[in-house]
Amino acid sequence: MTGNAVLDIKDLKVSFKVRRSGGKYQVRAVDGVSLSLAEGEVLGIVGESGCGKTTVGRSIVGLARPDSGSISFKGKDMSAAGLRDMRLNIRMVFQDPYASLNPRRTIGDSVAEAGDINGFFTGRAERSAAIAAALTAVGLDPSFAARYPYELSGGQRQRAGIARTILPSPSIVIADEPVSALDVSVQAQVLNLMMDLREQLGLSMLFISHDLGVIGQISNRVAVMYMGRIVEQATTRAVLDDPRHPYTRSLVAAIPKPDPSKRILGAIETGEPPSLFKRPSGCAYAPRCPLASHRCLVDVPELRSVDDRALACHNV
Amino acid sequence: MLSVRDLTVSLGPATAPVDIVAGVSFELGKGEILGLVGESGCGKSMTSLAVMGLLPQPGPRIRTGQVLLEGSDVTQMEPWQRVEAGHGRMAMIFQEPMTSLNPVRRIGDQIAEAVQVHDRVSGLPATARARELLELVRMPDPAMQLSAYPHQLSGGQRQRVMIAIALACRPQVLIADEPTTALDVTIQVQVLGLLRELCNRLDMAMLFITHDMGVIAQLADRVAVMYAGRIVETAGVEALFGRPCHHYTRGLMDCMPSRNSGARRLPTIGGQPPAPGTVRAGCVFASRCAAVRETCRSVAPPRAEVSSGHEVLCAFPLDDGGPR
Ligand SMILES: Nc1ncnc2c1ncn2[C@@H]1O[C@H](COP(=O)(O)OP(=O)(O)OP(=O)(O)O)[C@@H](O)[C@H]1O
Ligand SMILES: Nc1ncnc2c1ncn2[C@@H]1O[C@H](COP(=O)(O)OP(=O)(O)O)[C@@H](O)[C@H]1O
Ligand code: SF4
Ligand code: SF4
Ligand SMILES: [Mg+2]
Ligand SMILES: [Mg+2]
Repeated sequence: MTGNAVLDIKDLKVSFKVRRSGGKYQVRAVDGVSLSLAEGEVLGIVGESGCGKTTVGRSIVGLARPDSGSISFKGKDMSAAGLRDMRLNIRMVFQDPYASLNPRRTIGDSVAEAGDINGFFTGRAERSAAIAAALTAVGLDPSFAARYPYELSGGQRQRAGIARTILPSPSIVIADEPVSALDVSVQAQVLNLMMDLREQLGLSMLFISHDLGVIGQISNRVAVMYMGRIVEQATTRAVLDDPRHPYTRSLVAAIPKPDPSKRILGAIETGEPPSLFKRPSGCAYAPRCPLASHRCLVDVPELRSVDDRALACHNV
Repeated sequence: MLSVRDLTVSLGPATAPVDIVAGVSFELGKGEILGLVGESGCGKSMTSLAVMGLLPQPGPRIRTGQVLLEGSDVTQMEPWQRVEAGHGRMAMIFQEPMTSLNPVRRIGDQIAEAVQVHDRVSGLPATARARELLELVRMPDPAMQLSAYPHQLSGGQRQRVMIAIALACRPQVLIADEPTTALDVTIQVQVLGLLRELCNRLDMAMLFITHDMGVIAQLADRVAVMYAGRIVETAGVEALFGRPCHHYTRGLMDCMPSRNSGARRLPTIGGQPPAPGTVRAGCVFASRCAAVRETCRSVAPPRAEVSSGHEVLCAFPLDDGGPR
């Protein structure tokens, strides 16, 4: 996998200083994550709210400052690589399209922004053509260039956000919950679009979501995060059909299946979500884990390779 | 128990009303869980607020229809009359508990206040009942948590507090508007399990609103599918998933990723729902329906009963729901 990796992350750590009820705390949002993304691959990152998914994505595009670890793009360390080169090659799609579309600018201006800043266009005609091409690629009529974000539906705004992302022809797209705010019927349209673009433009993608159904549809491989660490990583089928880590198991079991003959309510125990202020000393999942043993309370399980996957657990 | 008949909620002047809920009818039996499902903006929240008598003022209003709670039409009553008549026994919980909880008051006091309103007790008995309610919603360490502030609780725990407050009035009907949408699946499964257990134990009926077909399949006894202000299909949960008859219901099920694992492309429903008031004639789903025929655009479809308790608002319903 590392041979043709376009993106390689090693032991990434990111923490934030926060103030709570008088005290100052250090929150370890990402606590030693290593990942590699192969060319043309979609790697899904899944986990509960607050587990650090977005922080991983933001670190890669330079929106969060890592404490330690390395991120390299096509073999070059990113702190050494030119910032501009990186900004155009690795682009992020956000959950809330409002975050990336300026409400006071036309869709066309937002879509063209990266090109404007970096002097892509020699004239107005070339600029308009680039905007039209990006809008067409995401299934919007070029006339949308003259509209404002409030005139668009949620699905159309997300398409415009994607057009803005792909205009500088990036090789990697980090998609942070890109369909979570959309209704299912529109979600399906946008997911199809992202799968098509990946193929047509040869994109590699880091796809962040809390929804295993969505992750299962689009990803080749999945990394499951818990409290800032990866606890299991394998092919999508392996994770969904045969989850091994106790946390992955409860995540998969808790998906509300659209089949009334498979009701699970009351049948599974999923425990309380963790507080990042009180990180357990051993395995972070121990307070919720049905398999926890004495060792789990003292030793942090390292991610190691077991059969077809990577797992961080003492007891499976 | 609760019977909603031909409920229409409208915006705009009386001379040119725009209906955001158009002729909605449903029945909710004792202890029954009715799931109301549909995409955002279809009118689910407006329906529930109209039933509760909580429509925002000024703005939407009930134009026609009745909301019968044990036979009495509550739309005709003032709020105090509802309580006096013993009909104040509907309660509601919302998607985001943080917006309904007071951030600077201890949760024990907030629950006790609801107890005070309904049981007319205060002081120790009210606190004791508050604690009992926290036990009922399975809050860990209920006695200790009475003195917690909302921000000290997790999202799932806050939703438990909201449920406790709603239960303080011993409701016969609980209306839950997307109460688990903001929660992680691992916590959602607990809150859904709790709600179902409470309905069984307290013989309470629930109108459960969601946009998630998976949640409906897990929880509901019966389902009403809503589109553009109308209920387009109602059926028992097994019948609905086994044999969806409306083209919209079928489309919603088909485009769920979890029903398609493996397929390279997801089936989609093209286009988007019409804005309220823009469909002047015919079927509201016509602009997106793959099976649309000429008459659908001009003649409003009839409400047809495809089998006992299974109704569909379509002139050309799916015959057999097809292979699943
Ligand atoms: N700028 C910041 N300052 C302080 N704490 C932060 C900041 N950004 C994130 N955090 C904290 O870091 C942790 C991880 O946050 P992150 O946004 O990466 O989670 P996530 O997995 O993306 O969650 P979600 O599913 O809710 O989007 C959380 O505890 C969060 O509160
Ligand atoms: N306070 C309000 N004033 C005017 N229109 C509203 C108001 N709230 C909602 N609407 C409109 O009513 C319709 C139904 O909304 P709502 O019931 O909130 O939908 P849902 O809960 O199904 O997402 C939408 O078209 C929405 O824009
Ligand atoms: S290491 Fe122990 S506590 Fe952690 S997941 Fe494995 S069994 Fe559970
Ligand atoms: S009435 Fe016609 S347009 Fe409407 S759902 Fe039925 S077939 Fe489709
Ligand atoms: Mg996030
Ligand atoms: Mg709503």
